[in-house]
Amino acid sequence: MKTLEEIENLSLEELEQKAAEAAAPVPDGLERRLRQALAARELADAARPRPARWIPYASLAVAAAAAALVVLPQRGPKDTFDDPLLAYAEVEKAFQTISNKMSVGMDIVRDAEQTAGMPYNTLNKIQK
Amino acid sequence: MKRIIILFAALLLTVSAFAQNGKSIYQKYSDAENVSAVYVSPAMFRLIGQIPDLEVGDDNVNLTPVIRSLSGLYILNSENETVNGSLRADAERFINSGKYELLMEAKDSGEVVRMYTLGNDRTIEGFVMLAAEANEVTFICLDGQMPRKDFEALLSKEMNK
Repeated sequence: MKTLEEIENLSLEELEQKAAEAAAPVPDGLERRLRQALAARELADAARPRPARWIPYASLAVAAAAAALVVLPQRGPKDTFDDPLLAYAEVEKAFQTISNKMSVGMDIVRDAEQTAGMPYNTLNKIQK
Repeated sequence: MKRIIILFAALLLTVSAFAQNGKSIYQKYSDAENVSAVYVSPAMFRLIGQIPDLEVGDDNVNLTPVIRSLSGLYILNSENETVNGSLRADAERFINSGKYELLMEAKDSGEVVRMYTLGNDRTIEGFVMLAAEANEVTFICLDGQMPRKDFEALLSKEMNK
């Protein structure tokens, strides 16, 4: 056993060498106790409610959606006309356009009806 | 489970907030080159509804009942070839995403006209017309609570003009 004075006189290298040579005694059952402690810690962690990490993300998504719902309708387009009479004329024009396009379809239907009626008319003529 | 429900609700809210509609399509294309655009707002429709006599023309076509029930009109007429395809695709996506019913489809000399309505037997809540020619696409979208009877009568009167 070295005295304190002898130890103090040792160089750093000598101290390191001594430390490496001397194997520290491991208490009996330390490994088992460590394993048990770690297992107990894991069990306790699993049982404890974890802080929900998804809450900030979900909150952000909801906030973004709410902001979009509130902000977007305010950014509506600007009225093309200031005068209601001009706007009315444009609405009438729109209905006229719709009707014209619809007329195209109706003309096709009329043509089809005429064509479909031809055999019937022919049969009628033959019977007479 | 609660987490999934909340995330799903948030996702639905986000998606619905950015869904296509007549207004968003109008806003997307109204400033493009060679695109003429007309928007009549609900406020303007209320003003139009206050005009005492709306009877127009010799055929006594009265738009009043329909006009007073409208809450928005969006018209886009594009002669811009780069816009045409995109406008048509967006309009079709909008129509397919809603509960629009095909009212009629006509194909004539390269022009395809489709008209759709949204609503029930009594009321039309939305009307969309999409007409596509080789170099031109017309998109008309009407929003409101139009009595179907009045709307159809109006169109048939206009057709007989």
